[in-house]
Amino acid sequence: MDEVVKLQLIGLTVVGLGIVILLFIRAQFARVIGFVAIVLGLFSLVALSVPQMASLPPAEEKFDIATVKTPTDMAAIGQKIFFSKGQCALCHSIGPSESARCPDLKGIGSKLSREFIFESLTQPQAYIYLDYRHEGQPKEYPARMPYINKNPIGLTKNEILSVIAFLQQMSGEPISVSPSELEVPGQAPSAPVKAGDSGPVAVAQAR
Amino acid sequence: MRHQGGQLQQMLRTLRGHGGWLSVWLLAAGWLALPSLGIAAEGAPAGPVEYRDIPGIGSRNIVWVIAQLHLLLAGFVLGVPIFAWLCEIVGWKSGEKRYDKLAKEFTKLLTSSYATTALFGGILLFLLIGFYPKLMNYLTDIFFPSFVFYCILFLLETATLYLYWYGWDAMQDGGKKTFHIFLGFLLNLFAFFIMIVPNSWATFQASPVVIAEGTDLARAWAATWNPTWWPVNIHRLIANVVLGGYICGAYAGIRYLAARNAEERDHYDWMGYVGNFIGVFGLLPLPFAGYWLMREIYQYNQQMGITLMGGFLSWLFILQAMLIGVLFLGSNYYFWLGITHRIPGSEHQYKKPIMTMLVILLLCLGVWMTPHSLVASLEEARKMGGTHHPLLGVFGVMSAKMTVANLMILVTFMSFIMYWRAGKQETATWAKVARSVMGAVLILAGIAVIVLGVWGYFVPAIIRINYFSTSQVLIVLFVMLTITPLTALLLKSARTTTEMVWGRMPPRAGYALVLNAVMVILLMTLMGYARSSSRVHWHVYGVMRDSSQYAFSPALGYAAAFMALNTFLFCMLVAFIFWVATMGDKGKATGYGGGEKGKLPHGVPAMAGGSPPRGNEQ
Repeated sequence: MDEVVKLQLIGLTVVGLGIVILLFIRAQFARVIGFVAIVLGLFSLVALSVPQMASLPPAEEKFDIATVKTPTDMAAIGQKIFFSKGQCALCHSIGPSESARCPDLKGIGSKLSREFIFESLTQPQAYIYLDYRHEGQPKEYPARMPYINKNPIGLTKNEILSVIAFLQQMSGEPISVSPSELEVPGQAPSAPVKAGDSGPVAVAQAR
Repeated sequence: MRHQGGQLQQMLRTLRGHGGWLSVWLLAAGWLALPSLGIAAEGAPAGPVEYRDIPGIGSRNIVWVIAQLHLLLAGFVLGVPIFAWLCEIVGWKSGEKRYDKLAKEFTKLLTSSYATTALFGGILLFLLIGFYPKLMNYLTDIFFPSFVFYCILFLLETATLYLYWYGWDAMQDGGKKTFHIFLGFLLNLFAFFIMIVPNSWATFQASPVVIAEGTDLARAWAATWNPTWWPVNIHRLIANVVLGGYICGAYAGIRYLAARNAEERDHYDWMGYVGNFIGVFGLLPLPFAGYWLMREIYQYNQQMGITLMGGFLSWLFILQAMLIGVLFLGSNYYFWLGITHRIPGSEHQYKKPIMTMLVILLLCLGVWMTPHSLVASLEEARKMGGTHHPLLGVFGVMSAKMTVANLMILVTFMSFIMYWRAGKQETATWAKVARSVMGAVLILAGIAVIVLGVWGYFVPAIIRINYFSTSQVLIVLFVMLTITPLTALLLKSARTTTEMVWGRMPPRAGYALVLNAVMVILLMTLMGYARSSSRVHWHVYGVMRDSSQYAFSPALGYAAAFMALNTFLFCMLVAFIFWVATMGDKGKATGYGGGEKGKLPHGVPAMAGGSPPRGNEQ
């Protein structure tokens, strides 16, 4: 039986038990317990009626360079990262969206060079942090771009290159990132991210 | 394992003769001791153990229950001394013995809960050390100086509590009473520090800061002073008062329902009123403190803010709205019951305002509970033109929610003012002007809150958050800070036209008090889950990753079942503690102020609104 159904049955039983106590028992304290049981049971039932989403940790997928033969392979990996570990879709949309807090990334691969995208991901406050897509003064976006290469997201260079490949492919551009640029673990290890360099920590320091 | 199982069966057979319960307890104790045997230890084979688990139950589930019970008990234990002390001061200043008795009764509940809180704290500590050695080692390395400070605070708090409680009767007169009041102040001072020290550990996990090299003390201090520390401190301080007030109210409600004579009914009706008042008093500024906390979280890390408000926890805030809405309704309902039952002849006079306030509250609750986006099938979404409802979708955004939250606070505040003024006739020459000013302030504030709310749709979020929402909060605070003293001044010279009669509330009033307490406890469990889940898969956000099998946050339904379980366990625990604490009271006379009829403490809004219980008049 599904976990939600099981919990719903438990909730209903608790509510039923509470009603029975209120109907048939005269002792005041027991009646109060029955009343509390009804309230708690109803609360659980309401909570079970909303969308049930668990927050799973991002899968630590092994970036197996041996399996990446073409730029399209990189773009496929980049697409996965875009919607999972990278958490890009939390703020950005691909195509117009009312709920997106930050720029629509449709066609971004054809508008910006790969170097600029890389810099935007790793030095997000260097140039782009205001919204110019309207008349008058530029505005701040509701959400600020985090440092993608630092914690808590912490994408590696290989992962960032793959995301760039995905953005270019999605924009109909030829993918300018090549699998030969990928760093082989052990040969050119990227510097581990120190606790003190991590995103939120750095933000706190700036405060 | 088979061998162990055989031993277990043999043990059970042996114990059966001594009573089944003993075997159950021993089994439970053995089960809890499993981690110490290194069973199900996780970590690198050769390296130190990082996690331990209890298969079947799950280490996280156990920690969840124990931590929640400890936090709820701690909230109660730290909240009660605040208003017990205030009650004592009111009794001392006004000469009304019933406030002193009430303060003593609150403190009695406090003393009995204190040891249980410490007990659960101890269990929690052992569990954390056992289950999360890596994390605890890391935190100890940073916070060791504050651990020492915390222990010293506990010693001071315990000694002060002993003196405060056991010295109550001996320190009733003259300078001794002043010293007793001072002890109450110390009790609250130490309690405040006892709260904020562990807050620093928990908030550091959510919003860690750079810890530079330096002395142990300097490092601990740097980690303590993290961005969410003070917002959480203030939020918890107010929330503890709310929790304490509503629990005392629920206690009074249950005692009222079970009262056997008029004296008991009078006393517990009055105590329920005071408990509810304290709860509402704290509830009104609580959303502002919550808003400040969320703002700090957003400023610290946008992603964490989005995880909370727009990510997988967004539906949690719909549940929060529901619980807060019920709490507001429950509190107002109790006020309205008070007006119609305690003040004879006022039913018709207040019927219309009460109905108006009820409609406003329900409308506000409806808006607050409107989700930002709807769960819809593809076809439904296509018909609506997206996941937002074409008409109701407009209420799903923060601008609308902030507006209705402020309006609900305003209505509840007015409900209280109405109750306070009921049965009295102002005699001051400037009464008419004052009433006009208060009415104008209220109407203008209501309009301003709504205008800012609507305007908020047309400005960038950053302007809305930084200026509009803050202005709404300040407007509501201004209303409270203007109308409260004005009403107090107005009623100072007022004539009582109808005496308030205690002990006439219907049984549903008792249930309303219980409902309010359950709502507050559920809210605390819900927001505890939110706070913990906002760290997602990090023990220390962005610094130390949770690599255990429990590095995920369960869905709301599962979490809500735990919240309900924890709430129920806490209620039972508190009921047991109170039952034990008041066991000796049965048979004793409820001589709260008997024969010592005094006037109401003029100008003290907290205790306003009532003539002494009937017992005092005899």
